[in-house]
Amino acid sequence: MQDTFLTRARKERWFYAYLFISPVLIFFGLFRVYPALQTLVFSFFKVEIVARRYSWVGLKNFALLLQDDSFIRAIKNTFIYALYIVFISGFLGLVLASMFNSKMKLGAFFKAIYFIPYITSTVAAAVVWGYLYDPKFGLFNMLLRLVGLPTRGWTASSRDALMCIVIFSIWKSLGYNMVIFIAGLQNIPDMIYEAATIDGAGPVTKFFRITIPMIVPTIFFVIIYNTILSLKVFDQVFVLTAGGPAEASTVVVLQIYNQAFLNYRFGYASAEAFVLFVSVMLITVVQYWISRRMEI
Amino acid sequence: MKKILVVFVVLLIISTFAVSAEGKQEKGPVTLTFWYPAGEITATSMPFRDGSKPWAEFEAANNCKIDVVAIDYETMKQKLLTALAGGKAPDIAMIDGSWMGAFVKENGLVQLPSQYAKEWLDGVSPDTKALSDWGGGKMYGYPSWGEDAYALTWNVDMFREAGLPPYQAPKYLDEFREYSKKLAIREGNDFKRVGYAIRHVGHPHGIVDKWDWLAVSAGVKYVDPPTVLVGGKSVIDIPPVRKAFQGAHDMIYVDKSTSLNFPDPRDCLLKGLAAMQISELVSIQVRQPKEAPNLKWAFSPPPAAEKGGKPAVHISAWNYSVFSPSKHKELALKAIRWFNNKDNDFKMAKKYESTPRWMANYNSEPFASDPYVKQFKSLLPYGQPYPKNLALPGIMEALGSAIQKVLHDEATVEKAFAEAQKKADAAIEATK
Amino acid sequence: MKVQVLKRTGEISATSIAYLLLFAFGVLMVLPFYWMIVASLQIPENLVSFPPKWWPQPPTTEHYMDAMAKAPFLLYYRNSLIVAIISVGCSVIFGLFAGYAFAIYRFPLQNLFFILILSTLMVPIQVTSVSLYILMARLGWIDTFPGILAPNFASAFAVFFMRQTIKGMPGDLIDAARIDGAGEVRIVTTIVAPLVKSVIATVTLILFIDSWNDFLWPVIIINSKYLRTITVGIAFFKDPYHISFGPLMAATSIATIPMIVIYLLLQRFVIKGIATTGLKF
Repeated sequence: MQDTFLTRARKERWFYAYLFISPVLIFFGLFRVYPALQTLVFSFFKVEIVARRYSWVGLKNFALLLQDDSFIRAIKNTFIYALYIVFISGFLGLVLASMFNSKMKLGAFFKAIYFIPYITSTVAAAVVWGYLYDPKFGLFNMLLRLVGLPTRGWTASSRDALMCIVIFSIWKSLGYNMVIFIAGLQNIPDMIYEAATIDGAGPVTKFFRITIPMIVPTIFFVIIYNTILSLKVFDQVFVLTAGGPAEASTVVVLQIYNQAFLNYRFGYASAEAFVLFVSVMLITVVQYWISRRMEI
Repeated sequence: MKKILVVFVVLLIISTFAVSAEGKQEKGPVTLTFWYPAGEITATSMPFRDGSKPWAEFEAANNCKIDVVAIDYETMKQKLLTALAGGKAPDIAMIDGSWMGAFVKENGLVQLPSQYAKEWLDGVSPDTKALSDWGGGKMYGYPSWGEDAYALTWNVDMFREAGLPPYQAPKYLDEFREYSKKLAIREGNDFKRVGYAIRHVGHPHGIVDKWDWLAVSAGVKYVDPPTVLVGGKSVIDIPPVRKAFQGAHDMIYVDKSTSLNFPDPRDCLLKGLAAMQISELVSIQVRQPKEAPNLKWAFSPPPAAEKGGKPAVHISAWNYSVFSPSKHKELALKAIRWFNNKDNDFKMAKKYESTPRWMANYNSEPFASDPYVKQFKSLLPYGQPYPKNLALPGIMEALGSAIQKVLHDEATVEKAFAEAQKKADAAIEATK
Repeated sequence: MKVQVLKRTGEISATSIAYLLLFAFGVLMVLPFYWMIVASLQIPENLVSFPPKWWPQPPTTEHYMDAMAKAPFLLYYRNSLIVAIISVGCSVIFGLFAGYAFAIYRFPLQNLFFILILSTLMVPIQVTSVSLYILMARLGWIDTFPGILAPNFASAFAVFFMRQTIKGMPGDLIDAARIDGAGEVRIVTTIVAPLVKSVIATVTLILFIDSWNDFLWPVIIINSKYLRTITVGIAFFKDPYHISFGPLMAATSIATIPMIVIYLLLQRFVIKGIATTGLKF
């Protein structure tokens, strides 16, 4: 059997192809794919990590999940959080972005300002906000007192805690959403707006009749991106409230963290992580499906 | 692209220089790692924070080095577990007594040699003995000096101003509520000062520590009997307990004599933002001279849940323990034995004006006639440490979140405590 | 004539509303940073005084001294830099080669591998941290640099973008180089890399920001104070039992201001990069 020139060349290419992708495959295989599969397996076990004991418990972890008020609360909170972030941060981002569209002076300056929170570390920013929220010495309560309004408990109150995290996250993500929308808006030809102006359409009509329909793909992206990011929220909760008070601001990832690293229930935490994985996957599938149908 | 590269290189150079200036960790012949909780969580970590080098003598005598590392309290338990699992645990750590069950369960702590345990248990005071003994003379660590007894502490001048007898504490919850009402100073919708500052944020664990006085006085039994390592029964959801915490709830929402906006009780007392608070006595004892030199304060057992009832003083301690992955177990055990010997006990307790553990020290000067130590001893008859049960962390988690929910008006006492009972039972079941 | 004037005033007022809104939100965006800096320079009495003092009078550096004495921030900076440079460097280089392979070659199981790599985007570290931790424990990588770096040696995001970009390149250049006898590795480093350098820069930047701000995994895997990155250092600088806001704000200033300055120098590039990658993604 003699190799033809073609197959030899092809085999050489194959060699290089595998060589070039192997670092990524090896690292991902070891540190991403393997732990992901392991999580799935562990969710059916009771894992005692120090003693290295693994005992099969079947679906017990999942059954316990259904009765775990803390976890149910965490799911509820995460869901509420995601709704707020998607709708408020997304919508505000769109409104602010549409103001940029007409080539305005200082546009670059504003953009730069709005983007600062996004590039700052969530942890450091949350520490600063923790100070702003402090019921006794924080700026927010001082401002309320200045204008004669009743002060609030902010992060120290179970009624305000989740909203404190939402407000922080809106502040943090607004710049990103705005920049994405600005990029989307730039793809709308000016001609359409000009035509509408001639037809006598006001800014609000233009916004709802032209802007929104023209950037549906961008809106869709922002919704998906913010939803997935919201499901994974952790840093700001950890720093601002640690999920409290009274679990008022606990979220799914914090539950995973607490169950695994505070209560040593690694199997149970894996089951929770599995639920998170399924949620993220569902959203991704929906995204894929819709973007196929809409041909975005 | 070029800009970024320049920035990168500059940063790298700066940081390399900075680090060489920081100085590297010196390595002695043998290095033991020692972890302690960072910050103000406990006054008994003072020697590691105030610049005195408490291990120096031992290091010199044994030709070793002890690397002292401060670990954030909120994640310390997690760090210890993860370090254990990774075989990278410290040789020695100062750990919260209520965590020990969890580590013992994972075979993470080295049991003290019986000779060490015996000399300790024979020599220390009865309350220290109760904190040390894991049954049958077994020990997993030395409880620290300055044991945490949770007492009611108050600002004497504020009592006087409010027309209350300045050195007489309220005896039971209802009286306590009356005091708190008289002591609070409102300012519009806000407080200038609360009657009683309550701890209600943070991990449920810490909440239980701070409310143990009310819970135990009202009849909570974390595990009954308190001496079994595995199994037993938890008593939480009973009418007196629900009534007591309804009272605590009403202080915020009915009496309006306190507020959730004052979440750090000790700090509030020291800063004059609260007239009363209940927490570890030793913290006030050690912090007050430095932070509030003009504060006049007094202490007594916390109020009982009911008139005529028995008050409860929560007793706990931080412990010096050796972790099983240590490569120098002998030396580490020797180190903690040395650290807690009679002489060092005397030195530390004297320096920080706190309570010693060895009977010999208790009965010698300056402790024998020290007014603080004397009064401290008067708390001890009401004292009760947590039971040494493997399910304790789970039970505390359950009770703590119930208390937190009630204080935040997130759930009725009925609902919160029923749920806590269920969770505590499940925690006990899970350790069997 | 009249109609036109009306329209113009309408437009002017719309623009001024836009400016007003943008300005108001702009103030909200920077207020926390402003307050952080002011508080870090404020004498302790002014930190608790009411009404709030909007300007440090007199300014003091005592909180910075305090913060620097309490925690080795320069060491934290170095650790963050080491982690960022190694993880970003590896991710970009591996991403470039893998992206090239997926864009140019046809080989068995190509699609499967590509989907596998992309699918890791769906499994965030939040999901795998527990198992990954157990794996690190087995490898003895807990509390080590390799442990911090492990999940970030490669980036699916980098692979994806490199592939997309290289696919859009004219193939003639590569064919010409091959005819000249250039090896595949040389083609990637000397022909492809310069052509896609703006994408490399964008990916580098985004990965750098991510790495610099990473928290969950470092906080799990790091125990000793010598390894703390800047985010972990800041989170643990806070003492929940005795909060003194002056040193805390000084510490956060130390942690954030250098990054903000660097960002402001590169801001056009950063924003453009994130806008384009975001949209294609």
